[in-house]
Amino acid sequence: MIHLVDVSKKFSDGAEALKNADLHIEPGEFVSIVGQSGSGKTTIVRLLISEIFPDKGKIVVGGWDITHIKKHHIPLLRRQIGVVFQDFKLLPKKTVFENVAFALQVAGAIRNRIETIVPQVLSIVDLSNKIDRYPQELSGGERQRVAIARALIHRPKVLLADEPTGNLDALNTKDIIDLLLKINEFGTTVVMVTHNKDTVNSLKRRVITLEDGLIVQDQKVGKYII
Amino acid sequence: MFLLALNRAILFALQSFWRNVWLSLATIFVIFLALLSVNFLIVVNVISNSAISAVKDRIDVSVYFKPEVRESKIAEIKTRLESLPQIKSIVYRSAEESLDTFKARHEGDSKIQDTLKELAGNPMGGTLIVQAKELKDYPEILKALDDPSYGDLIEEKNFDDNRLVINRINLIANSAKKVVLAISLVFVIIAILIIFNTVRIAIFTHQNEIAIMKLVGAGNWFIRMPFIFESILCGLLGCVVTVIFLYPLISGLQPYVASFFNGVNFDIIGYFNHNFITIFGSELIAIIFINIVSSGIAMGKYLNV
Repeated sequence: MIHLVDVSKKFSDGAEALKNADLHIEPGEFVSIVGQSGSGKTTIVRLLISEIFPDKGKIVVGGWDITHIKKHHIPLLRRQIGVVFQDFKLLPKKTVFENVAFALQVAGAIRNRIETIVPQVLSIVDLSNKIDRYPQELSGGERQRVAIARALIHRPKVLLADEPTGNLDALNTKDIIDLLLKINEFGTTVVMVTHNKDTVNSLKRRVITLEDGLIVQDQKVGKYII
Repeated sequence: MFLLALNRAILFALQSFWRNVWLSLATIFVIFLALLSVNFLIVVNVISNSAISAVKDRIDVSVYFKPEVRESKIAEIKTRLESLPQIKSIVYRSAEESLDTFKARHEGDSKIQDTLKELAGNPMGGTLIVQAKELKDYPEILKALDDPSYGDLIEEKNFDDNRLVINRINLIANSAKKVVLAISLVFVIIAILIIFNTVRIAIFTHQNEIAIMKLVGAGNWFIRMPFIFESILCGLLGCVVTVIFLYPLISGLQPYVASFFNGVNFDIIGYFNHNFITIFGSELIAIIFINIVSSGIAMGKYLNV
């Protein structure tokens, strides 16, 4: 599903965020990418959504070689990958319904389809009763659930979660992780970048550990070891 | 598909306009101020042009013929002069009318009245009162009058008395035009810069939203279009507000201006009514153009996500 072959990325300040990374994630896997700040975790997410491009190597997502993706193809790529961010990245002047619907509108979905699918997805994340609320009227956990609903709206094969519980308390963290596990059970490949040791250890899933841009460990059923 | 995207862009623009109502109002207010200053310059331009043309209308050249010159000869000269392209109008005043006018002008002067009585006949000849289309045309007309064949017929031409005045008015008129043009240019540039920056600031406040839209897979035009429509809406409303405020303002101003330039006919409202489409249409097009360009430039850097 996701293949990084000998990928390196250096930023303009000279910092090497990723060094010769080889990473292969199969369909349906739930993978945690862990490491300290600046180890290159988020760089992987940014590379996978073509927010930045590798200096070296090859990146393939769902059979699509995106190493040298054309600019006008980037929106198409992003509609096929669900992404959840630590800071939620919700549109502040749009309601819960509109935020989720927006992801369909950009793809040119018709109104009837939007009005059918959005409530269904919002019900999966248990937000049916808050569809007319604005993001600032929601708790952190609820905001993250809106972001997950938006990421799921295209029924993506891959869900990237960049520190999805970074701004949440323990209770909300558990809810979000349970939700991600549920999504994974339906067959979606989930790649989660996290700092949360307890979460990673409780998952008992594959863990990839990064250190200074290098993949130092890749365990099938891993633990947070840093 | 295109119609669906267009429909959505308009809907998003209206939504954003309403949900960021204070930002929208601030943008409209800046557009209103800029347009008001541009229209104020148009008013100044109308006033100065009217004042200058009123003064110009009062300038003419009187050609006094000798008393013995027959009316038919004067009529012949009048016809020849009328064929000149520089001539706006020629009025013939007969010897009798000239005498009556002279008497009326010197009604209180007993010496002149007595002298006229002592004279047996009418000492005055016919007069042609010549008006040129432009002040600069007078020398050309006078050159035509200097024809040697007219030398024995013309008693006097009063243009030399007017020459200084005409030159001065010409100078003032030209300088006034240049000054108004320069001020207009400066104001228009300032207005453009202010609107440009206002739109840029408005876009700046949306930079996070633009980045989020990109991250969830929106194409550049899907993001740009609502902002463009929103800026068109602000421009349109800015123009409407300007029209609503400008007319009462001019109505209030007109009597003061008219009394200041006593006797000169100013109809500023008439001018705006007559040129409504030209003035406000071009202002609207200019505002929309500036808004589209500035929002396009401002968004460019935020779209690289």
